[in-house]
Amino acid sequence: MKELEELHLPDGIGYTDDHEWARITGETVRIGVSDYAQDQLGDIVFVEMPAIGDTFAKGDEFGTLESVKAVSELYMPMSGEVVAINSDLLDSPELINQDPYGAWIIEIKPSANSEYAQLRTAAAYLDLLKG
Amino acid sequence: MAQMIKTTPLHPWHLGQSANMALFGGYEMPLWYPAGAKAEHLAVITGAGLFDTSHMAVLTLHGPKVRALLQRCFSKDLERCLGPKKTPLIAGRCVYGVFLNPGAEVIDDAIVYQCGNLDYMIVVNASMGAPIAAHLEQQNGEEPGAMIIDHSDLVGKMDLQGPAAARILGRILKNPDQVFEKMPYFSFKGTFDPQRLPGLTVQLLDGTPVMVSRTGYTGEFGFELFVAPAHVEKLWTLLLKAGEADSILSCGLAARDSLRAGAGLPLSHQDIGPWIFGCNPWLFVLPWDETGTGFTKEFIGTEVLRAQPPTLCTLPFAGFDPRKITISDKSLVTSASGQPLGTILTCTTDMAIDRVEGKICSLATPVEAGRPESFSPRGLCCGFVRVEGLLPAGTEVLLTDGKRKIKVEIRDQIRPDRTARASLQNLL
Repeated sequence: MKELEELHLPDGIGYTDDHEWARITGETVRIGVSDYAQDQLGDIVFVEMPAIGDTFAKGDEFGTLESVKAVSELYMPMSGEVVAINSDLLDSPELINQDPYGAWIIEIKPSANSEYAQLRTAAAYLDLLKG
Repeated sequence: MAQMIKTTPLHPWHLGQSANMALFGGYEMPLWYPAGAKAEHLAVITGAGLFDTSHMAVLTLHGPKVRALLQRCFSKDLERCLGPKKTPLIAGRCVYGVFLNPGAEVIDDAIVYQCGNLDYMIVVNASMGAPIAAHLEQQNGEEPGAMIIDHSDLVGKMDLQGPAAARILGRILKNPDQVFEKMPYFSFKGTFDPQRLPGLTVQLLDGTPVMVSRTGYTGEFGFELFVAPAHVEKLWTLLLKAGEADSILSCGLAARDSLRAGAGLPLSHQDIGPWIFGCNPWLFVLPWDETGTGFTKEFIGTEVLRAQPPTLCTLPFAGFDPRKITISDKSLVTSASGQPLGTILTCTTDMAIDRVEGKICSLATPVEAGRPESFSPRGLCCGFVRVEGLLPAGTEVLLTDGKRKIKVEIRDQIRPDRTARASLQNLL
């Protein structure tokens, strides 16, 4: 298990208390899980994703990550409509372990850009992990 | 009062490797190492894995009354338990069975080893050494009976599992040819304590005594190794070094759990436990007579086993993808139409298997037996459910945590093409 100082917590994305991240990519937002989340879960063996066109409010459950250890729900960092899912994860869920910030899970068209500002910065997220 | 957390002699080694640690049976044990549970699981199917199992408890029993005591307490009939001809247990052989209470509920499962004419060894689960020793002591009677010694935390144990296990072990043993000659499944040689426990001499190259048992808990070929605690780390690192060429991995409890579940082996106090031991896949541990309807001996639990046909059945299942259900107060098994049927006992993912046109295929399945040339299994959810009445294999049921529903199939077997019983000589 990684020590806190070993975690990779890049700037330029917003973090939730549930360990998801959101990255603004032009008109859309990509969503994934943090290095801390993948390290805690261990090997991820399956990703359950929503359908394109599904809409969710901030905080809604949009899918699950199956790890060897447990099933973990994924929660929306921002409200919006799913415009893409990362289909690479269907065959290679381990990409999330290998590159948690490259392996986005869903892409949404946000319904309120202002919600991004409510997410934690990398430094604020690290504070949360320190407890 | 804070519960004292126990550790094994390899605890510092696990921490040094940044293993993900968790409590199990009162011990802080590795769940997985940085390679990850999936790689560890697959290593045991294709090469070799090494598990720290020093948390398990070892008892030794000595004297002329041991055999009768075990006949009274242990489910296997020691006079009729070896091979198809059901011959008596002899020195150098061991058997798997359960200890039941008078209500026919499982106290623990165990392997009983016969070490000499009057000397036996019993391996039970973590933290079960004292309860099983107390149970046996209680049955021992007032006369000078069997001498029972609890070696909990005084014997080092590790499991070397996988098709490369004999090749690797052979590299660090003195006279490996002699050790491996005539070594069928559930036999053993050597002793971890030559002063106190008789046995043939089996030694590491430096002379350290070791007990080599052709057993394990993964469903795959391999050995359980017993040494004095002072030699545990040496043996562990020797094996990892000797296994480098075979891509050996140290393996944690997560891989152990997914391997054993796929092999259809029960976890004590989870799949077998405080309910009547009947209608489950492990009834072969009972002392059935030739007709398969009666018992060849009486032991603690037989009265209830005879009198009360069980209403609950424990059955293996496998899913159709890796998704599983986290077991909680809300999790249950239902019929396809949603009618509650029972509880989920174990639910994990066997990462070496997947469905090929509906049929379950393993990484170990030969290509000629149906494994595609390029087979990259995603894993299948599997485990055990306990339901009202017997459901035939092939029945589809739903597992649910109250929110998600996962379709699984009742099975006789889960992971095919397991190697536990493979010929040792073929794997050298």
